[in-house]
Amino acid sequence: MRPVRILFALTLVTVAACGTRVENDAAAPAAVSLPAGTVLPEIRPATAEQVLAAANAPGARATLVNVWATWCGPCREEFPDLVKIQRDYADSGLRVIFVSTDFPEEQEEARRFLARHGVSDTTLIKTGDDMHFIDTLAPRWTGALPATFIFDGSGRLKVFWEGRADYAKFQSRVQEVLHSTDPKEARS
Amino acid sequence: MKHLRPLVAATLVAALAAPLTASFAAAQEEVAPTPLAIGSQVPLADVKMKNVDGKDVTITSAAGKKGTLVVFTCNHCPWAKAWESRIAELGNAAKKAGMGVIAINANDPAAYPEDNMDGMKKRAKTLKLAFPYAMDATSDIARAFGASRTPEAFLFDKSGALVYHGTIDDNAKEPEKVTQRYLKDAVDAVVAGTEVTTPETKSLGCGIKYRKKTTGA
Repeated sequence: MRPVRILFALTLVTVAACGTRVENDAAAPAAVSLPAGTVLPEIRPATAEQVLAAANAPGARATLVNVWATWCGPCREEFPDLVKIQRDYADSGLRVIFVSTDFPEEQEEARRFLARHGVSDTTLIKTGDDMHFIDTLAPRWTGALPATFIFDGSGRLKVFWEGRADYAKFQSRVQEVLHSTDPKEARS
Repeated sequence: MKHLRPLVAATLVAALAAPLTASFAAAQEEVAPTPLAIGSQVPLADVKMKNVDGKDVTITSAAGKKGTLVVFTCNHCPWAKAWESRIAELGNAAKKAGMGVIAINANDPAAYPEDNMDGMKKRAKTLKLAFPYAMDATSDIARAFGASRTPEAFLFDKSGALVYHGTIDDNAKEPEKVTQRYLKDAVDAVVAGTEVTTPETKSLGCGIKYRKKTTGA
């Protein structure tokens, strides 16, 4: 884990120090190269049921599921804030699950994008029928990206929205759900 | 954080092995503008848009005797690109069958430069569109429809009532694996004057980047 953690820290420092670079990255994802030897995170196919299972799994007081794609401008723009929320609230019991909706030929670019943003955990990539995926996660979701879902510690969907958010919005919604979950109720 | 990282990995592995059903409480929801309800009439039908041929066009002027198909699409979006040939083919055939057809790009080119008028002209030419491809220069038409993504289709029957809203078919990327041709079936039903059996469908798609609001509507 150590090399991964060091890489993660280095990447975060790079991201934090290069605001312009992050913006450029948002506009042109393929333009930023990775340091040689970077280990790309795993990305596993998942159905909607498997995404929900991951969100409902024990061990977190809140789970944020973000559905994104490399070619989606607003997804790329909000990504650094999501990574920051993941980092800032991990010790409070927040779990973040990224679900890419990239097409198969873009999967490698998705992994590179995740690595550039310091994501080293396994993440998911949507598989299966779109309509079933959308309606299973939230019947009122139109299918537009990005989409963010926050579940409480008991696996109940508490907050859902479509479109780009910033750190302040992620923070307020995450805090709301964390505070709504009785630590005793969260499954460990 | 260190205790959570292996936990996340372990959770994902466990979750992928054992899917289960979600329970939904009363979740707070923030979604795009509510799409037109089935049965609604065409909104902002007489608002002028610039077509790729340089002339003004409205939904009314593009309407057909047997009905009208309005497709919100754009140039840059991978989903729009994946479906564009099928949209062109379906739209051209529908027009021949007496439907009115219009494709509308409501994206702000400031966000996606490829979605400018030059890009639209190239797309229209490449795809040999026999129907208008117009720019919703304020995004107000998309707002009025409650269109949230590209591509997104709205089909009106000859009385002007919305009878189908949704996606093109059930497989954007692999046309040969399509099993449900939702929009084609709906168009065929409207042309035949029969009921649309699946009036609402969904797919993933690129969120429409609306321009800043210019009206109080």
